Amino acid sequence: MRTIFTYAKKYIVLAMLSSAFMIAEVALDLIQPRMMARIVNEGILGLGGSGHPDISLVISVGIRMILLVLLGSITGILSAVFVNLAAQNAGNDLRKDCFARIMHFSFSEVDHFSTGSLITRTTGDVDQVQHLISQMVRSVVRCGMFFVGGTYALVSLNLSFSVILVVALPLILADIIFVVWKTNPLFNLLQKKMDSLNNVIQEDINGIRVVKSFVQEKRENARFDDTQDDLLQTQFKVTMLMTFLRPVMNIVLNLAIVAIILVGGIQVREGAIMPGTVMAAITYISQILNGMMLLAMIFQTISRGVVSAGRLSEILNAKPELEEGVLKKTEHLTGRSVGEIVFDHVSFHYPGQSQEILHDINLRIASGETVAIVGVTGCGKTSLINLIPRFYDVTAGTVKVGRIDVRRYNKATLRNAVTVCLQKSELFAVTIKENIALGNPDAQDEEIREAARCAQADSFINEQPDGYDTIVAQGGMSLSGGQRQRVAIARALLRKSPILILDDSTSALDLKTEAALYQALRESYRNITKIMIVQRIASARQADKIIVLDKGTIDAVGTHEELLKESQVYRDIYESQSKNDEGGESRE
Amino acid sequence: MSEQTTSKSTMTMGRFGPARGRMGAPTEKPKNSKGALKRLAAYLSAERMRVLLLLAMILITVAAGVLAPRYQSSAIDRLVDRRFGEIPRLLGFMLICYIISGIGTFLQGYASARLSQGVIRRLRGDLFHKIIGLPIGYIDAHAHGDLMSRMTNDAENVSNVISQSLGSLFSSLLTLIGTAVMMLTYSVPLTLLTCLTVIGSVVVTNVLSRIMRRYYLKRQTLLGNLNGIVEEKITGLKTVTAYNLQDEASDEFTATSNELTRTAIKADIISSTMGPIMNMLNNMSFVIVAVFGAWFAVKGYISVGVISAFTIYSRQFSRPINEMAQLYGQIQTALAGAERIFTVMDEPSEDMSGQEESPVTEGTIEFKHVDFSYVPGKQVIFDFNLKVEPGKKIALVGSTGCGKTTVVNLLMRFYDPDSGEILIDGVKTTDISRKTLRDDVGIVLQDSMLFTDTVRGNLKYANSELTDEDMMNAARISNCDQVARALPDGYDTVLTGAGASLSQGQKQLLTIGRAFLSLPKLLILDEATSSVDTRTEKHIQDAMSELMKNRTSLIIAHRLSTIRDADQIVVMDKGHIVETGTHEELLAKGGMYHTLYMTQFAGQST
Repeated sequence: MRTIFTYAKKYIVLAMLSSAFMIAEVALDLIQPRMMARIVNEGILGLGGSGHPDISLVISVGIRMILLVLLGSITGILSAVFVNLAAQNAGNDLRKDCFARIMHFSFSEVDHFSTGSLITRTTGDVDQVQHLISQMVRSVVRCGMFFVGGTYALVSLNLSFSVILVVALPLILADIIFVVWKTNPLFNLLQKKMDSLNNVIQEDINGIRVVKSFVQEKRENARFDDTQDDLLQTQFKVTMLMTFLRPVMNIVLNLAIVAIILVGGIQVREGAIMPGTVMAAITYISQILNGMMLLAMIFQTISRGVVSAGRLSEILNAKPELEEGVLKKTEHLTGRSVGEIVFDHVSFHYPGQSQEILHDINLRIASGETVAIVGVTGCGKTSLINLIPRFYDVTAGTVKVGRIDVRRYNKATLRNAVTVCLQKSELFAVTIKENIALGNPDAQDEEIREAARCAQADSFINEQPDGYDTIVAQGGMSLSGGQRQRVAIARALLRKSPILILDDSTSALDLKTEAALYQALRESYRNITKIMIVQRIASARQADKIIVLDKGTIDAVGTHEELLKESQVYRDIYESQSKNDEGGESRE
Repeated sequence: MSEQTTSKSTMTMGRFGPARGRMGAPTEKPKNSKGALKRLAAYLSAERMRVLLLLAMILITVAAGVLAPRYQSSAIDRLVDRRFGEIPRLLGFMLICYIISGIGTFLQGYASARLSQGVIRRLRGDLFHKIIGLPIGYIDAHAHGDLMSRMTNDAENVSNVISQSLGSLFSSLLTLIGTAVMMLTYSVPLTLLTCLTVIGSVVVTNVLSRIMRRYYLKRQTLLGNLNGIVEEKITGLKTVTAYNLQDEASDEFTATSNELTRTAIKADIISSTMGPIMNMLNNMSFVIVAVFGAWFAVKGYISVGVISAFTIYSRQFSRPINEMAQLYGQIQTALAGAERIFTVMDEPSEDMSGQEESPVTEGTIEFKHVDFSYVPGKQVIFDFNLKVEPGKKIALVGSTGCGKTTVVNLLMRFYDPDSGEILIDGVKTTDISRKTLRDDVGIVLQDSMLFTDTVRGNLKYANSELTDEDMMNAARISNCDQVARALPDGYDTVLTGAGASLSQGQKQLLTIGRAFLSLPKLLILDEATSSVDTRTEKHIQDAMSELMKNRTSLIIAHRLSTIRDADQIVVMDKGHIVETGTHEELLAKGGMYHTLYMTQFAGQST
């Protein structure tokens, strides 16, 4: 919460102005019934000084009332303008800071929060906080003022009316507290049940093929019905509790009016007050109690806003996990050793997990070398290469790039030198050309085409309706898996960084295309260090050396022939791919 | 407008109380409101009793509400006339009116909540059951976000309008009439004056909401853009990080966010001037009633109590008019939503009729002259002829987009061929009911889709009655036993977010286990092991050859090691079969398969 206050504080002047105008508006509203009483008492009933009805007084007070009403609405509008400026701008600052903060999250922070939750936080939660700020100023100030000012006005009319207020108020408060107390826990439950219904719908629409192939339509229909019934029951409960609020309040309010007329009647009989005053008192008590009713309505907004504020604070207060290094200058990353990578007794486990993923890895990759990494599913291949551009930090040992510990580099500098083509090719909803030029926006068209040709993407891109200018659908869904991978590879190649890592980035390519890609890579990108995680032995064989990873340790390093002799794991993998096969072997 | 995809949990909370702040929100117009209304009426008539209760309660509440100020007015008059003795009786009547109105309001709330529950339950239920029964072709051709939004936003809008807006409409109308009658009985000139201010307020509201609508529309678009950026950049955060684009992404976000804020401030300022302006008009009306009332009172035309009554009635009169103006917009939007729902409901469901009895005796699959196109004019399968002998393992290979998955789609009858036929043991698949066909054919799909359920529930998806022993067996064969055991609660671990915590390879193993457990007569594996390492894949294959002994299986894969020991390999290219034969035959032939094979195993020597 404190974090959020600092955002609101910047706009405190606007908020104060808004509150001031709000107070003025309410005050003007509260003067009216009193003037009305004067019209009735002195103007109509002639109970004033003159002793007879006075039309000129009615008109002059009436004109003053209209002026006050105009003034009141002007202050009301000004209050709205200022509160909007305050809440929207504070919300905007909050939103921008959250987003910028998320953009610099480390991978483990993203894992910790989960992508979906980060998205809702930047959109929905910011909105809630924005509402919270504006409600705080508008409704809370408004209610407070109606309460304080109204009570003052009522009591100043006649002290005996305050007794009625003292009785009515606790009843109203009890009603509000009861409903809020009962509904509040239900709201969280409601949200959860709503989420699970959405989840069922989403899963079944996306997984319709599975549902149909296993002929489980009936079961899914039943699952939906159960989930929906569950939601509707809770929803009904909440609605009924909320429905309880208004009639009870109305009855209390009208009881209070009855009491005012009764008490007023006695007072009028005694000559203590005049009939017009009773009418004013009725208006005041309605205003006070209606103000309380408003409070009950905004309670939801406030409690939800507070929860959202907490969720946003978590993002804003997250301590950066990876400390920034100091070496910014690119000269540290030039020269002959720039592509050299050394793993020195490296161990690694994911933050918050105890299971060690990598254990005591020692490895040296020379500048310009081509290295393949093979191993079974879950042996730590991706974790290993994630340490090079510092997507994660080692838990023990050091990783060096260009003979310097990666932790000493500025992250941006390091990542400009190390390009990773990720396992999952993420494309953005811009043109293909822009997708390729993502890491190098100044690239010339010819360079882009060159990278695409090497990635074996040029020909299919040319077949797209607008060629390189074809817009990619959100998430890259307009392209096939293999096409997405090739665009992602072209993007990585275009960066021309001294170290290139391909993390199983060719898994969706057919063999011919993959071979052509590796061929082109060998010819056009001879001098850069290339590390590739591959599934197929055929792809690994062309590397200068192959690293066999097994259960988080290096099983063996060597050429294809050496490994066939030395590594059982490698032999297993090889044999699984070339069982009873003479043809492939004899081509060598 | 309301088409924004609400895929995540952006579903609105049920709206309670008055629909404040909704006025001016963009409304859409239905194309055929009569048709949609008629069908909605059918949903309402199923809830007849609740509708009647609702209407009756509204009638009582409104009557009591309109009558009560009359007693209050009389009481004030007695006060002025100093006839204090009659006051308690009048107040008693007034109180009774308010208590009746209070109870009525409560029951009205109850009826409306029940009505809303009943309608949405059936409407959303019907829609969901419909969607589940639609042909795959329809679902493939429509954005999932759009279908989601019909299930959530549209259904909710419709139910809200039915349960709340219709009630409000009725009560507004009654209040309007009742109040007008009451006012007229007191004083005709004062009533006309009140009407004047009310008409003024209606005009102002209309003008303002028209201006507002423009800004709301713009704001909605910008909001959509902003959410798009958030979604794209956060889901693609790894790429953003890998390419050092954090600051560029933030800049893009900032620009849109700033523009949104500017528009939103304008929109909200205009919409929040509505309150004070309405307040002003109300107060004006109050003053006008007071001043003219006073004048009439002095002249002796009316009593003081009437002024008091008028201050209440003038408010009661203006509120329903404004409400009805807003309701009109809400009803329009809901009808447009209802139309979208009914369009889906009018789609023909997948035809589940046909022979119920399983046709599989041996397991021969035969494709005869099959042509197929997803989009008319863009044929993807050309004269496809293939006969798979019983118990054989057949493999489909070819480059991406050559039509392999389409063949599977046709066999499962997710789609039907344009011409030609597919036979299973001599029976046309179009003669077999889809249920029987799909019971017989097990399939592991390219995208490994898991449900939010325990590992056990996911594995036993085809039949929850299967024993744990069978399940463990299938899990061992498919190598997913170790995946399950490594999870915190083993087989009882609940997988959330479609198995987000598992690697692609692990998910594939589970989906294979699921298919094995269903013990199908025919098995299709569509790139089922693409993310599994070759050694594990080999284990699965060995186990599978045991399991699938005497059963026909169809395998699609890129990796030639996956398919090499198939009995027959079918090489496809651009929707045509180019060659068929065993691994050795095809190699010897030196055709397309040979080229594919060479690039895989001897890629470097070329």
